[in-house]
Amino acid sequence: MTPSRPDLDVIVEMVPPGARVLDLGCGDGTLLAKLVAQKGVQVRGVEVDEANVRASMSKGLSVRHGNIEDGLADFPDGMFDVVILSQTVAYLNRPLGVMQEMARVGRSAIISFENAGYWQVRWRAVSGDGSGNTLASGLPRIRSITLAQFHDALKQLSLRPEAHVFLHGGSRVQWWPSLWADAAVFRVTKA
Amino acid sequence: MIVHTQQVTFDEELRLQSGATLRPFTLAYETYGTLNADRSNTILICHALSGDAHVAGQHSVHDRKPGWWDEAVGPGKAFDTDRFFILCSNVIGGCSGSTGPSSINPETGRPYGLSFPVVTVADMIEAQRWLLDALDIPTILCATGGSMGGMQALQWAVSYPDRVRSAIVLASTARTSAQTIALNEVPRQAIYADPNWNEGDYYGKEAPNAGLAVARMIGHITYLSEKSMREKFGRRLQERERYGYDFATEFEVESYLKYHGNRFTSRFDANSFLYITKAIDYFDMSLGRGDLAQAFTDVKAKFLVLSYSSDWLYPPEQSEELVRALLRNGIDASYVEIKSDYGHDAFLLEVERLGELTRDFLAKVERESAGPPVPKTGPTSSSAEREEKVYPLASWAAKSRGAWRLADVRKQESA
Repeated sequence: MTPSRPDLDVIVEMVPPGARVLDLGCGDGTLLAKLVAQKGVQVRGVEVDEANVRASMSKGLSVRHGNIEDGLADFPDGMFDVVILSQTVAYLNRPLGVMQEMARVGRSAIISFENAGYWQVRWRAVSGDGSGNTLASGLPRIRSITLAQFHDALKQLSLRPEAHVFLHGGSRVQWWPSLWADAAVFRVTKA
Repeated sequence: MIVHTQQVTFDEELRLQSGATLRPFTLAYETYGTLNADRSNTILICHALSGDAHVAGQHSVHDRKPGWWDEAVGPGKAFDTDRFFILCSNVIGGCSGSTGPSSINPETGRPYGLSFPVVTVADMIEAQRWLLDALDIPTILCATGGSMGGMQALQWAVSYPDRVRSAIVLASTARTSAQTIALNEVPRQAIYADPNWNEGDYYGKEAPNAGLAVARMIGHITYLSEKSMREKFGRRLQERERYGYDFATEFEVESYLKYHGNRFTSRFDANSFLYITKAIDYFDMSLGRGDLAQAFTDVKAKFLVLSYSSDWLYPPEQSEELVRALLRNGIDASYVEIKSDYGHDAFLLEVERLGELTRDFLAKVERESAGPPVPKTGPTSSSAEREEKVYPLASWAAKSRGAWRLADVRKQESA
């Protein structure tokens, strides 16, 4: 697990109390458990790793074990108020297909991702380290997503950003986020 | 834990799905643990093809083996007898104390044989419903079982939505596949082909044990996985150093199948095998409905569905089909595909992870279904009242932001 996830607190803030929430790639259920405790929401999760599914269930959550890219098809249209995809979109094979499905099953979607336009990432790329996901690091395949690319994707899917928060090391960034934000959280809805 | 099988006989008509009736009928059952004061802590365990009411413990201190799911049922185990009242009954059509083809037909004074009516999974749970009424158990906290036991748990949640608070379905399906029907038909053919079978009329004579043993051998193959067979037996020879170039039992796997096939004949009736496999073949929750999801529109139970990665008799895809149909109805369902090399048998063997999951799931069910049990008779509370009682959080959310269930989502959309 990522040691520090400031985006999770932002997501909790963005979820209205009492909402019906689906978390895609819910991991060990940390975010959903937070949401239940702080927002009194009803939650479901989808998670691909068996041990994580069991960890989520130990927090009293209901989880469908499976791949996001297949599992989302199980849920009916408009079943959720909010569908969350936190720090996962970069790892998907068909990110746009999943985002479209999120818009189908939810009234709004919250998506957080690491900004590949962040100056340090750009610097790593220029200085020869690439995205930091090197041959030797053995990290899973990951997509580089910039804020501009994300906006393009939203336009393509006819989705509209309702709210956004840009982060840098856990603090909010207002100024020139495409360069200064290391992470972004968007709440989007159908345009 | 010493337990005793009990029996109850109903001098009533059991109306079967086929239209036939059965009267009288007897069910054999065992119970473990204590029924609590408000009679709300019952876990109904449903057995699979060759199981019986003896799910755990021993009948006497001299018993060599405990019940068929002893690893999962007992104090502190996956189904904790310190906390729950566990009930398990032998299915109707069986041969371990419940009425089946080997029972005496009161009209003729002779065993039924093939004159016993064909029973279905729905008939099995209808018989269990009589038992629950006799024991004055209004609601089941959880109906559970693997394989055909999972089918019964599912059928319970569909047939009696107000009496079932949750279901744990292991290594099962919502509709028996062509492959499973095929793997039931070949064993049946083995029994038919045994001259002793004699159209099912063999009681008091030599039983069709050769056919039944072959039937069981086929079953045992389907319960294992390629990998578990490779690891368990490999190509090892039994009591021989080298090939004999003859047809004696020489591979370990042959010896294993032969042993289990023969042992089965001492405790199981060939006709019961035919009837129960037929019930499995007929099982199809989508029967008479447009699609599978429509089968679950009235279901109120929470679900935990478990599949096992190497199970090829009831492969994970079939559990996923079930889960999809449940989720499409807005039912609170969790699904876990447990990684295991044990094949279909994994549902009996992977008890450690099962225990972890059942504890968490049952705790959630108990937490979220606190309140008085739904009355068995009398005016049924409106769904809003019920939600208030059973799911306080759900009813609050439903009022403020529209209801959770699909039916209500649909209503909102058409409004």
